[in-house]
This record gives sequence, C-alpha cells and structure tokens, in this order.
Amino acid sequence: MEVCGISNVTLRDFSCEQSLLSRPDGSSSFMQGDTSVLAGVYGPAEVKVSKEIYDRATLEVLIQPKVGLPSVKERSQEQNVRETCEASLLLSLHPRSSLTLVLQVLHDDGSLLSCFLNAACMALMDAGLPMSCLFCGVTCAIAVDGEIITDPTAAQEKECRALLTFAIDSKKCRVMMSSTKGSFSVQELQQCIAISQKASEKIFQFYRDSVQRRYSKNL
Amino acid sequence: MISALKDKVGQILVPGDEFCCGAEDTISLTAHVQPEKVVCGPGLMRSADRLQVCKSGVLRHKEPNMFWMDSQQKRYVPTKGDAVIGIVTSKSGDIFKVDVGGSEQASLSYLAFEGATKRNRPNVQVGDLVFAHFIVANKDMEPELACIDGSGRANGMGIFGEGGLLFTVSLGLVRRLLAPHSEIRSDLQQLVPCELLVGINGRVWLKSSSTQRTLIIANLLQCCDTMTAPQRRTGGRSALIDCPSQRWRM
Amino acid sequence: MQIEISPNVFVQRLDGRQTYDYRRIKVSFGADYGCCFVELGETRVMAQVSCELVAPKESRPNEGILFFNIELSPMASPAFEAGRQSELSVKLNRQLERCLRNSKCIDTESLCVVSGEKVWQIRVDVHLLNHDGNLMDAASIAAITALSHFRRPDVSSVGEEITVFSPEERDPIPLCIYHMPISVSFSFFQQGTYLLVDPCEREERVMDGLLMIAMNKHREICSIQSSGGIMLLKEQVMRCSKIASVKVSEINELISKALENDKRARKAGERCGYAASLPRGRITALKMDETLVDMTTVMDTAKEIIQEAAVPSEPSSAKHTRAASPVVPAPGVGQVGLGLENSWGLEEDVDEEDEGKGEEEPQMEEQHHERKPRRGVDVVEISDSEEEEVVILHP
Repeated sequence: MEVCGISNVTLRDFSCEQSLLSRPDGSSSFMQGDTSVLAGVYGPAEVKVSKEIYDRATLEVLIQPKVGLPSVKERSQEQNVRETCEASLLLSLHPRSSLTLVLQVLHDDGSLLSCFLNAACMALMDAGLPMSCLFCGVTCAIAVDGEIITDPTAAQEKECRALLTFAIDSKKCRVMMSSTKGSFSVQELQQCIAISQKASEKIFQFYRDSVQRRYSKNL
Repeated sequence: MISALKDKVGQILVPGDEFCCGAEDTISLTAHVQPEKVVCGPGLMRSADRLQVCKSGVLRHKEPNMFWMDSQQKRYVPTKGDAVIGIVTSKSGDIFKVDVGGSEQASLSYLAFEGATKRNRPNVQVGDLVFAHFIVANKDMEPELACIDGSGRANGMGIFGEGGLLFTVSLGLVRRLLAPHSEIRSDLQQLVPCELLVGINGRVWLKSSSTQRTLIIANLLQCCDTMTAPQRRTGGRSALIDCPSQRWRM
Repeated sequence: MQIEISPNVFVQRLDGRQTYDYRRIKVSFGADYGCCFVELGETRVMAQVSCELVAPKESRPNEGILFFNIELSPMASPAFEAGRQSELSVKLNRQLERCLRNSKCIDTESLCVVSGEKVWQIRVDVHLLNHDGNLMDAASIAAITALSHFRRPDVSSVGEEITVFSPEERDPIPLCIYHMPISVSFSFFQQGTYLLVDPCEREERVMDGLLMIAMNKHREICSIQSSGGIMLLKEQVMRCSKIASVKVSEINELISKALENDKRARKAGERCGYAASLPRGRITALKMDETLVDMTTVMDTAKEIIQEAAVPSEPSSAKHTRAASPVVPAPGVGQVGLGLENSWGLEEDVDEEDEGKGEEEPQMEEQHHERKPRRGVDVVEISDSEEEEVVILHP
C-alpha cells in the first residue's frame, strides 16, 4: 500500500461571480469545471422567536438539490457546511439575529461538497459578514491503485476507492471539517490533507484576486 | 504595527489577514516613547495582541491613526450616531416602530421630535418616511432613534418625503455619496439640480423637477457601484442632456 | 412603492421601460439535457426536467405523466420558506400545470412504454432563484424551454422485458412537443385604468389586479387567469390578448434561437453549461484556468506528520511508567484500568487532604445544624444518626 503516485494533482478551471442576485444580501456562484453551485445569504435579519439565541446569531444552511426535495444526503451536507461556517463566522457580533445561507446545485460533476463550501465562503464575503478567517473546500479521491486525484469529476468519483473532502482555513491552513467516504490508510489521509492544504493556497489566492477585481473601480 | 497598517492602506484585505500589535522590536531607552493609539473602524477587530481583518474590502486610513475597512455590502447594521432613513411600520402607545433595514426594528419615541410635548404630539402615520439618527444602537439592545439632536433641535431630521422617490443602493455607494468631497455628488450637481437625502443605511430619497429626471437619476445612482467615473459622466450626460426625449435605458 | 403616473396616459416605469416592454430575457442551458436558466431582468429561474419509469394512472393507462413542481427557494426572497406550501406556490404550480399540461402541448401518449404497466413520468422542477417580479412568465419560459431541450433515454420492450438504453448505446429521444405555450402577465392599477406588461417586484406590490394569459405562437389561448378581484372590460381582455400574441411570438423566436444555438454548440463539441455561460466582462466575475498544484513537498510533509504522530514506541514510554499490561482475571474477560498505575496522582492528594480536614469538620457541621432551626419557624428535628444528615421539616 506504499505506492502513492501523486500525478494527477490539478484543480479544474474554476470561476466565480459575486453579487449576481439582487434580492439576497450576499450571493455568489462558484464553478469547478462543470460543477456549479449558486449561493445566497440573507442576514443579519430578524429571527424567529423559536430560533433565537441570546448571545449569537442563528445560522441556517439550506441545500436545494436540482431534482426533488432535500433528502438525508443534503441534510448531512448542510450540517457539514454549517459547522464550517459557524467556525469561521463571528456569530457573537450579531446576537438575536438570523443568517440564512441557501445553496442551490446547478450542476453536479463531482467535488460537490467542496464547491458548496467555496460558494458559501464567497457569498458570506459578499454579504460583508464578519469572519475570523476564510475557508475553502478541497476534495481528494483515492483511486483503486492508490493514486490521489484532487478535484475529481463525477466519473472519477465513481471509480475511486475513497473520497475525502476537507475544509481548510485561510490563516494557518488547518483542517476545519472533514468528510470521508471509503477506506484509506493513515498515510493516505495525511497525504490528502497535505495536498488539500497546498491546493487551498491556490483557491485563497483566487478569492483575493476576485475581491481585488471587484474593488478595482473604487480603490 | 502602525507602519505595517499604513503600508497596506488602499489595498485589498480579506478576513484572516492579521497585523501583530506587539511592541516594537527595538525599544529606545533614551527617547520618551509616547504610546500610540490606533482607532479601529468597521472590519477591524482586536484579538489579544493581534489586529484582525474580519471583512473583505479596501483598507482606509485617516489621520492620525484611524483605520477601517471599506466594503460593499447591502445589509445595514445599526450604529450609534448614524443618520438613517426609516419607514414607520407601526404605532404602539408612546413609540413608533421604524424599519431601518437592520435585523431589528428601531423604536422612536413621539417625544423625540422638535417641539413635541405630551400634549403636542407629532403627526406621524404608518408608512411615513422619517430621517433620524440612532441614539442607542448596540448588539445587545433594541436600537432607538431620535429626530432631535442634543440641544433639542430638529437639525434637518423628521418626517419627510412628499412626492419623491425612495430606493436602495449598496452601503459602499452611500458612503461614497456622503464623503466630504464626493465625486459622484459633484458630478450629479453639474448634471441636474435635485433634492437628495441619503441615509447611511443604504436608502436614498430623491426629488427633482420632473418624474422622468428623478427616475433617470435613480437608475444612474443604482448603477454607480460598478461604474468608473468617466462611464458615470458619459452615461449621465447621454441619459439626461443629449437625448432627453428618446427612450433611455441603463 | 411609488408609481408615478402623469396626468396624460404616458406612464413612466421605475426602470424606464414603456408600458408594453418586457425586461431583458436571457435563456441559457445547463450542461445536461433538460436544464434551462432564464433571466427576466433581475428575476432568475432554473428549470430541470427529469424522467422515471412508473406505473400509469388507472384512468389513463396509455398516457405518460407530467409532474410540475415549483420550488419557492428562500434564496429568491426572504419571505419564502423552505419546504412549505404557500399560497403563492400553489397558485404558480396550478397555473403552470394549466399552461403546460392541460393545453396538451406535450404528447403524453408517446411516453407510454407498456400499456397499463410502464410509462414515463416527466418531472419538471422549477427553482426560483431571485424574485424581482413576474415569476410566472419566467417559470413558464424556463419550463417549456427545458422540456424542449430534454432528451429521455431510449427504451425497447420485448415481451415482458423492458430495456433502458444508456446515452452511449442509443441516442436519447426528445419529447414530442406540439406547441409552446408561454404565459404573459399584465398588471392593472387603479381599478384597470393603467396597464403594465411584465411587472417588476415593486410594481407587483402596489398592483390591484393581475391577468395571466398563456398563449402559443398560433395565437391559441391555452389558459387565462385573472386574480386580484378587479372588474375587467371585454375590450381590456381583448387588448391584452392581442399584446400577448405579439409578446409570445417574440419570446418563441428567442427560445427557438437559443435551442438552435445550443444544439449547434453541442454538435460541435463545444463546452456548454452554466459554467461556460459565465459573463466574462463583469468585474464581479473571475475565472481561473486549470491549475497544477505544486506537490514537491507534500510527500515529505505527510511523512513527517505521520512520524510525529506515530504511537510512541515502548522503550520511550517505559521511562516514566511501567508498561501497562492488560489484566485478564478470567478467560474471556478483558479489563482495563485495574492493576495499572493511576496517572491521576493529583486527585489522590486532594483526597488525602480532604480526609485530614474531615476530622475537624463535624464541629462545624453541628454549628451549622443548630443555626438552622432558629431561622425556620417550624419545628426542626435533627436526626441523631450520622449517616443521614437529613433535616426534616414538620408541617
């Protein structure tokens, strides 16, 4: 099992657009290859009494699948995204208010969870919510022969032995959330984390570039 | 740390960027060191010995040592002293509830108007627009508005809005409109005379000589966020002066 | 909020449109078949068509089933709640059904695979992404475009056996669509004095009534619905239907052009889908090409971490503690914790101290007990027994 060929370590072309919806306070669409997600954020807004928390904002994450109603899979992804967002947002600055993050799948071609995370981060940034750090998602697939593929497509995901998604923070490149499927060795896990950390640098640079572009007209 | 901050003025920063505010590396023993104070505006936070950026945007600076993040956002968060445009949503007893676009409705006492007494109540109806400033606004309390300043004068605040148009723009644009030497404002002044009332909560009320002009200016202002100054000028001129009779679109 | 109406009939709209103007319509397609995005000004809608083999309805054994679902996603407006049927969603759903199912624009009989046993159910999910008025028109354009774009897999039935072919085996088949009904909305103000086509959200908030006419390009009215409770004159309805026929033919042309473009792009093997249609010029949008991640140090980092995190080998741990050996009191029983050195040394010390203090304690306790009766008005009996320090309050 020591054979760990790392050859296919590329991120697909990615693109994003911010503030594309007029209604939400913050919105973004994020594309990794063909995988596309649309995110909208409302808040800090009025909160329902039943959901009110006295010392911090209530964060609600909703994932809308393309076909049909949200199922258990979406619920678990919602939880992953919510916990990541809660870790990076400074929710205590807006007590007794609500933040709603809605994520709409536009096309699933693999690495969907990481695309959710990236779209969410962009939308939260667009909404101007206070955050302690940025975060991004990176998905790694381990093929049957031990090869590690970053940002896999749906076809690659189907063939792989294990699928790992990490949320990485921008400050110290630490792992904020991990979601794994399939079996892998400790060594492979560490390799995947190290790869994700490396890949995250590219994504954070992309975040910075897109913010730079956005403010280019009023610097 | 201040020099590190000053280096970054006018540049893009994103959440997670940090400045170390520890002591300087070399401490002069002879010179008298005046401890320097830094005032952190929105988007900057202190945590332990570090200064953290918590909003993405452009770092701005004002002498002597005032720093803040300038960001484009839509949602307003009440801050004490801000002058805002609100919409009266309900009357309950002695207070009016006012929607200012924040997470909670603000309250406005009927006594907080110029010349108002228990006998002489101000004439305020649900749906009225009110220009007021925050006298209480913090994260743990219900925000409270007043239409009088410290000396009991209205100072331009109160109920307003006969026949104008209210619309919303981004908070970044509002700040650019209210800046002491605002380019957008001076461009607008040259273009067409109009009455403009700007609330820092992103609401703008506008009135000019004709409805059509009002609408053109409103549309122009709403587009300003993503326009450069030359674009703005040519756009405004073509819409208002060059072809006022033709169909215009932004 | 403020619709300004000048004394003459000339109406000025907030966004500078004329009375009968539609906002800009943009139709684009997703990467897979049956996915359509529609932008109507700021209003945004996405429709996705999917299919499934199901048993037909008993009353109609030879017909496929059409199912419409409009999702009022909370993304579109903060007033929309997720997973709740609101009045608006029922109204929109019903209108879409009447516009597309009851108009028989889709041949449902061709969707039958085995009569009475297996038919295709075509499901149309319409997601509202941004609400800036006139959701119905946007939804109807998105739904019919997605249906025309959709391809279902080919099937063959030999005897009892039904084979569904994958797109690689046999080309998927488009639906049989006879005509394309499109809904056109008219809003009325001041009891029908003023009429506007394609109301935006601010106009919708102050309108008195709404008339929705669904029509195809052959000028056949497929459904008509008036809401808001205003009295319309015959002439007004006639005029609206005339306007609708013009608008419908314009929109129809746009849709067929978009479909053709997409078909050509797909044939040429160009990349299509949402990601490909990203507007490049905007300053809010940015694209980055495929990037290689620098992997030179990754292997070393991973190895280092593993070595650091490796379970300490025995010799090193033996320095300060005896090697913990599990105790097996009886065959088949595993026990942890007995016979091991307690690492909670501090806790034990505290315990000893407590015992030491414990000798002085009783006196204090007695004093404590004596004080209590005075406070209470009721008689208090102090139990003599030391084991139970219970204070009984007699009623």
